[in-house]
Amino acid sequence: MALLEVEDLTIGYQSQRGFLKAVEGVSFSLDKGRSLGFVGESGCGKTTLGMALMRLLPPNGRIREGRILFDGQDLLEKTDEEMRQVRWQKMAMIFQTAMNALNPVHRVNDQIAEAILTHNPSLGKQVAYKQVEGLSRLVGLSKHRLRDYPHQYSGGMKQRAIIAMALACQPKLIIADEPTTALDVIVQDQILEEIKNIQKEFDISIIFISHDISIVADVSHDIGIMYAGQLVEYGAREEVFESPMHPYTKALLSSYPTLTGEKAQLMPIPGEAPDLIHPPSGCRFFDRCAGARASCRTNPLVWLEITPTHKVFCYQCGRQCGR
Amino acid sequence: MSGKSLDNRRVQKFHWMSRFLSGWAIFRQSFLGKIGLTLLALFALMALCSFIPPLVDPMYQPMAGVDPEISTVTGPSTRHWLGTDFMGRDLLSQLLAGARVAFMVGVSAAFMSVFLGTAIGMIAGYMGKFADTLLMRLADIIMVMPALVVLLMLAALFGQLSIWFIVFFIALFRWPGVSRVIRAQTLSLKHRPFIEAARVAGASHLRIIFRHITPNVLPLSFLYMTFQVTSAIIIEAALAFLGFGDPRTISWGMMLQWVWKTGHMFNAPYWLLPPGICISLITLSFYMLGRAMDEVLDPRLRKEGQTD
Amino acid sequence: MGNGKQTILELDRIVKRYRTKGFFFGAHGQDVIALNEVFIKILRGEIFGLVGESGSGKTTAGRLIVRLEQPDQGKIYLDGRDITGLKGKASKDYSRRVQMIFQDPYQSLNPLLSVFDTISEPLIIHKIGNAEAREDSVWQAMKSVGLSPPHDFAHRYPHQLSGGQRQRVAIAHAMVLKPEFVVADEPTSMLDASMSAQIFNILLEMRRRLKVTFLFITHSLAAARYLCDRIAVMYKGNLMEIGPAEEVLRNPKHPYTQALMDALPKFVHSGGVKRYETLLQAEREVSGYVGCPFFVRCKVARAPKCSREKPPLKKLDDSHSVACFYAEPGIKTRSGGKA
Repeated sequence: MALLEVEDLTIGYQSQRGFLKAVEGVSFSLDKGRSLGFVGESGCGKTTLGMALMRLLPPNGRIREGRILFDGQDLLEKTDEEMRQVRWQKMAMIFQTAMNALNPVHRVNDQIAEAILTHNPSLGKQVAYKQVEGLSRLVGLSKHRLRDYPHQYSGGMKQRAIIAMALACQPKLIIADEPTTALDVIVQDQILEEIKNIQKEFDISIIFISHDISIVADVSHDIGIMYAGQLVEYGAREEVFESPMHPYTKALLSSYPTLTGEKAQLMPIPGEAPDLIHPPSGCRFFDRCAGARASCRTNPLVWLEITPTHKVFCYQCGRQCGR
Repeated sequence: MSGKSLDNRRVQKFHWMSRFLSGWAIFRQSFLGKIGLTLLALFALMALCSFIPPLVDPMYQPMAGVDPEISTVTGPSTRHWLGTDFMGRDLLSQLLAGARVAFMVGVSAAFMSVFLGTAIGMIAGYMGKFADTLLMRLADIIMVMPALVVLLMLAALFGQLSIWFIVFFIALFRWPGVSRVIRAQTLSLKHRPFIEAARVAGASHLRIIFRHITPNVLPLSFLYMTFQVTSAIIIEAALAFLGFGDPRTISWGMMLQWVWKTGHMFNAPYWLLPPGICISLITLSFYMLGRAMDEVLDPRLRKEGQTD
Repeated sequence: MGNGKQTILELDRIVKRYRTKGFFFGAHGQDVIALNEVFIKILRGEIFGLVGESGSGKTTAGRLIVRLEQPDQGKIYLDGRDITGLKGKASKDYSRRVQMIFQDPYQSLNPLLSVFDTISEPLIIHKIGNAEAREDSVWQAMKSVGLSPPHDFAHRYPHQLSGGQRQRVAIAHAMVLKPEFVVADEPTSMLDASMSAQIFNILLEMRRRLKVTFLFITHSLAAARYLCDRIAVMYKGNLMEIGPAEEVLRNPKHPYTQALMDALPKFVHSGGVKRYETLLQAEREVSGYVGCPFFVRCKVARAPKCSREKPPLKKLDDSHSVACFYAEPGIKTRSGGKA
């Protein structure tokens, strides 16, 4: 059975101009020990999705429809108190601005130990601090720097400390939202390696959210491409990369400069993403899509299965395949 | 082509309008702001009405008009709605005139102090180094001086102070607080990339100050003005109550002084209470207005669920 | 490449230090060296890439060129004339020729000025043309950055624009004076991929049409490869490697450049990118700034030489220079033998 199963999730924000559907009709499932990456540009709803899975939406955000089945339980039916128990104990999150999540006036090891003790008060203090040392070894933090204060850490070290904290209660699922965006390439590479190793060692499931498709591809088994609040393509990373189907995925891939091969002209995607308060009918990518036909506006979109693990949300793709 | 420029100007005006309107929308959600504004409207009405009584009958002249038939303190009657003071002067017209003076003193002193504070704060923040040190130490010195005591000493030295001298003096003593805030804001603006972009484009210091920094600090200045009004009114009232007000104008503080001096403190509530309540309410209303404006300018203060 | 071409801008042994404040009473803190004797010649009409991680001094170099800061030592020449001490009118004239595009379009536009006012501002500062001519220039600049039709955008304010649109306004603001030299400081690091591609193409188009020379500051090797003719790799204020972009990225000689290549996300960049396995060392203990700046983490470094002496830029061939004692011309390097 899948560890996490999300069905038809629709999330929005109440704003003065109306209800903004940040995420619409997203379904996916994640098995134990697998990792899933969500890629999309700013405003595509990927961060909202991550927050909703943790039930940490801002006050004006609401989950309109759908179900989140985690470990056999429906998270949307839990009370706030029950949810607090689930968070950290079973699922943890590494935020985009995680570096600011450390309390500046406490030593790093005290903070991690506290995270362990709050959720497991029966453990003695000494056991907790022993665990902190173990965790720090795991994420590559020097034991001698554990008694430092956060401001004495570099960005990469802070990020490691945050990962150690997320691992403190041995969660089954970690949601990582742009965990390396603020870091330099070399540090980013080290952190990504660390995350991969930890995943293997503990058989943790990871949801990885980023705007950078190359980073996501590095750590994820499966990839979901999001555009304007919807999932538009979903599949194993090899399939998504080697035979992308959705025009948006193709456009996204060809808008990244590469280091190898011929220096090809980058093809930027023209136009801007649609307004999510009054989303257009039919395909959301219609205005920016090179292969769009009039029928894309009117025909209802359905998921098209290309292989058992690869599916795409595009009307034209279906026609081309002759279905 | 000049049509387009005109167009641009019109759009600019429209932009300021829309900024104002969106600010207003947030302001309206603030309970404090609504109370404050209502109270202020009432006081403004009072101040306007203060021009009426003398026109009706010279007897209602707040300072000089004396009811020929009354020569002592009397309670409310149909002829004198709030009663009269010890000389038979109409209390209502005094109260109305006091509103006018309170506005005049409060707003002009606040305007002057905010003007000074903004200019000095911007100069200190933008120029930095020596000018900054000099001006901010000056601000420190003035800030630790007790304004009221200094004013009392001056009054003792020079005798009666005119109301404009008092206004000027309040302004002189109240700018340092404003200048500190404006300086901090200027400092944070100074290193913002859009200021650096202007520098790279070759803009002179004057142009950067007037085109880029001033418009960005002005909202803060306006906010501080409302708080300054409060303190100016209180200082003026205190001075007048202690007997150092301008004898040619009537203010609420002065009315209180007369109650006190003629020994009616506890036996003529119709004389004591109105000016006392008015002073409290007008300062309170300016303060509430300021708090609401603060919410408009600083999104962090907004309550959850409010959006802009 | 470039022997026949003329140098437009030259950084001549530039040093820039920042003084960090010490504790209260304590002796004041150590100086941080942002740029250490950096020597770069940029040729007219090229796009020169400055690549490095944060703290490498690449942004400082850009800020020195547009005179937002002054170097502590060394000179900067534009067309052979020293510009480090310019004042008054000369300084203003310089700003007509050299402009900058900032990193964060959410910060680099005055929130109270409309698009039209923002772009026309430099023209007013330099008193160029009358109102009508200025308007024409603004429309032109807007069209050239793809803000079209211009009338739709002219009267909008920054908060009504997307990040990509803001950056295009910022580019138009920099380009409206028709400068010869533009510093582009990570202009796409805050933008989405599809937007970055647009900005890259706008810069390439500007270079093609207006013959502008660009200094492109970036942390992304791939972006540098796409845009730049030549690149310089910087580390802690020092120039490590300089050469034609394609050559440096295909055949990096400095262990640091190799480490950067190794750090690229593996899956996407797997095909064809050689792995140098320059596993970074845990930092070694060193004192002061004497030796090679990369010594503390370098795998190739050998103790006495590299820690005592700063390797000079060594010419490997005509255009490719490396600041490493152990770099040799040819494909094989000591560190990357077994790729």
